[in-house]
Amino acid sequence: MAQGGGNRSRLLLVILLVTALFFITLDLRGVNLTKGSRSVSQTILSPVQRTVSDIFSPVGRFFSDVKNFGKTNAELQNEIAANKLLKSELAMAADSKGQLTQLKAVLDLAGRGNFKVVAARVIARGSASSFSQTITIDSGSSSGIRPYMTVISQNGLVGVVKSATGGSAIVLLMSDPSFRVGTRIARNQSVGVLSGLGSTGYSLVLLDPAGNIKVGDTLLTNGSSGNKPFVPGVPVGVVTTVDDSTGSLTQTATVNSFANLNDLGVVAVIVSAPTTAPTVALLPTPNPVVTVYVTPAPAPLLSPGASTPSAPNVHGAPTPTPSATPTKKK
Amino acid sequence: MSPTRIATTLGFLFALFVIQESAVSLIHFPLSGFSLYLAIAISLIAFEDHNGAIVTGFLAGFVLDLSPTSNAPFGQWALILTGLGFLFAVNRDSIADLTSSPITFVIFVAGGVAIALVTYLCFGALLGEQNGSLGHDGRVLLGNTLWTLIFTPIFLPALGRVHEYSLTARERS
Repeated sequence: MAQGGGNRSRLLLVILLVTALFFITLDLRGVNLTKGSRSVSQTILSPVQRTVSDIFSPVGRFFSDVKNFGKTNAELQNEIAANKLLKSELAMAADSKGQLTQLKAVLDLAGRGNFKVVAARVIARGSASSFSQTITIDSGSSSGIRPYMTVISQNGLVGVVKSATGGSAIVLLMSDPSFRVGTRIARNQSVGVLSGLGSTGYSLVLLDPAGNIKVGDTLLTNGSSGNKPFVPGVPVGVVTTVDDSTGSLTQTATVNSFANLNDLGVVAVIVSAPTTAPTVALLPTPNPVVTVYVTPAPAPLLSPGASTPSAPNVHGAPTPTPSATPTKKK
Repeated sequence: MSPTRIATTLGFLFALFVIQESAVSLIHFPLSGFSLYLAIAISLIAFEDHNGAIVTGFLAGFVLDLSPTSNAPFGQWALILTGLGFLFAVNRDSIADLTSSPITFVIFVAGGVAIALVTYLCFGALLGEQNGSLGHDGRVLLGNTLWTLIFTPIFLPALGRVHEYSLTARERS
């Protein structure tokens, strides 16, 4: 059948063409058989394509790389320059990300305490020659920051504003030896004074001789009059060791602060605390005395069908009630 | 064409289809892409005798219709390549032999690719498919034909040997 004739080959041609047209008709009529066959082939192809793509992608770019060789070289130089710029920007972005994380955490803490805060970036640390432990922040009196305001970080108390100028403020860190803050133990509300020791540790002296400290106790700020210099309820630290020496009148302890003062990036200055926040008084208040008054019950009226005499009224109100007034006999 | 050869041809074409879809299509050829599958399929059609060309054309089209990226209705490629198989079968003497006139053979294969693509476009237009701009289509057509002309002489000797090997004794005679 080399010359293209023959009934058999014509019949074969017609059958195959009709079959192809049959497939087309089925597909155009939306029969799932044809669509399903393509999805099956996709299922078979996709793992092969994924594997080949991993191996073959450098070869795939070969022609375009050759074609654009000169252009690619110039682009490469540009990319190297851009890469350097991006690296420096990336370092800055990482720094910003770290600061953002700290800021978020600080604001979370401030939000939990309903504090109104001004966030600030730490721009400098105190001079080593002055021995004082301070930080300089980039917000000052123009942002509402005044001296003796509480400064917190994401984890808790950092210090107190020492001085403020228009655009910056100096914060005395709680690790400074001159730093003192009234604290209370969260577990039993015992009150004490925490002092900075110039290092990572802090000293706690209880004011109440009957109070007790345990290792692991959490300390919170006790609060000051007018919330200055300290607002109440700010986490301060945790007790690490307790000095139980019998020679002292009150217990003392060593405390580790919650805030890591070495990695401060962003802090928040509490410019106002909620007025409804409970401030624990430094001195214990006396227990309230309740006075109970007992008045005799009125005499029962003798009348038919009268009920039994009522019990005497017992009340603690200083104001007399009508039942307390004596009843006259007719 | 014996059932055994139909089966082996189908398997071979499917393997070629997988290579085309997973590897060759990843290469960014200048001008336009190269369809190794079409080039080899049309070469196989050109190698076959009358009935063999028609059947091989249908099988090649059927496998190509399985392409999940195709927008054409299933069966369109089968129709086109069956018709092309018939064209090659009718003009079998003009194509000549690979060994005696390889350049003519390659030109016929490249021409077959171009005809197949043009017919595909025409059928697509008749069936309401979106085929892109005329410039784009022309570039695809030109690129495919050009790359077929370049690459076909490379694989054609090997393909010829494989085809010879797959023939039965009766078919050889």
